[in-house]
Amino acid sequence: TVRPKNEVEQKQLCAFGEYVAEILPKYIQQVQVTCFNELELLIHPDGIIPVLTFLRDHTNAQFKSLADLTAVDVPSRQHRFEIVYNLLSLRFNSRIRVKTYTDELTPVDSAVSVHKAANWYEREVWDMYGVFFANHPDLRRILTDYGFEGHPFRKDFPLSGYVEV
Amino acid sequence: QTTGLVGLAVAENPHERLRILYTKILGVLQNIPKDAAYRKYTEQIVKQRFNLVQTETDVQKLQDKLNSGHIEEVIVQAENELSLARKMMQWKPWEPLVEEPPSDQWRWPI
Repeated sequence: TVRPKNEVEQKQLCAFGEYVAEILPKYIQQVQVTCFNELELLIHPDGIIPVLTFLRDHTNAQFKSLADLTAVDVPSRQHRFEIVYNLLSLRFNSRIRVKTYTDELTPVDSAVSVHKAANWYEREVWDMYGVFFANHPDLRRILTDYGFEGHPFRKDFPLSGYVEV
Repeated sequence: QTTGLVGLAVAENPHERLRILYTKILGVLQNIPKDAAYRKYTEQIVKQRFNLVQTETDVQKLQDKLNSGHIEEVIVQAENELSLARKMMQWKPWEPLVEEPPSDQWRWPI
């Protein structure tokens, strides 16, 4: 069986994506809608805080809830890490994904000033990938052991690690 | 009487408060360039809501017409829009793209 295509929702998401891209051309590099009706905004890293505050505060886009904050490691790219923010709007019952990029050494603005929920998520991304967040109130390790060296979720970190247990 | 929502007190005289907030938002929007899409769309939304607030004096009917939850939530949303407009004045997001991404950055599958 194949999931039936929901054309109406796809059109609405396309229209909303064009609306946001028209308002914020300084930071949005690309907008795409997946075949499963998921809207994605691809952002320049300078524009994280402006775009997230816009999506949280604007009347047509009240994405008040940060559902997830993760990173993706693609070692072959020049900026290997892709930071992904998943937002949910309770007023309009709709989700949106915001993606940025960074490499190992460039810090990224912290989203804690916009969404308090980003605190532990950013600690996890720092611990697992090594992406530094500027202006984070308390950036330290959260899942690895106290003296652990290395960032486990990177693609060049071996499956059983460097230290024998 | 109560809103039914935690942390939101019932607003006495919501029409006055909304009138003040919407005039402030429109005042802030005058400072950004006229051709910016943000100014166009936000002015449209704010003027539409402002007209509804001025024509409808009954709170229940106003809530139904705005179709956006309780009046107190509408007030909170207007305050958010005001702070967003002030921040937009500093960030100026209507300018052209800051920097193009590297050509293979957003290619998927790799």
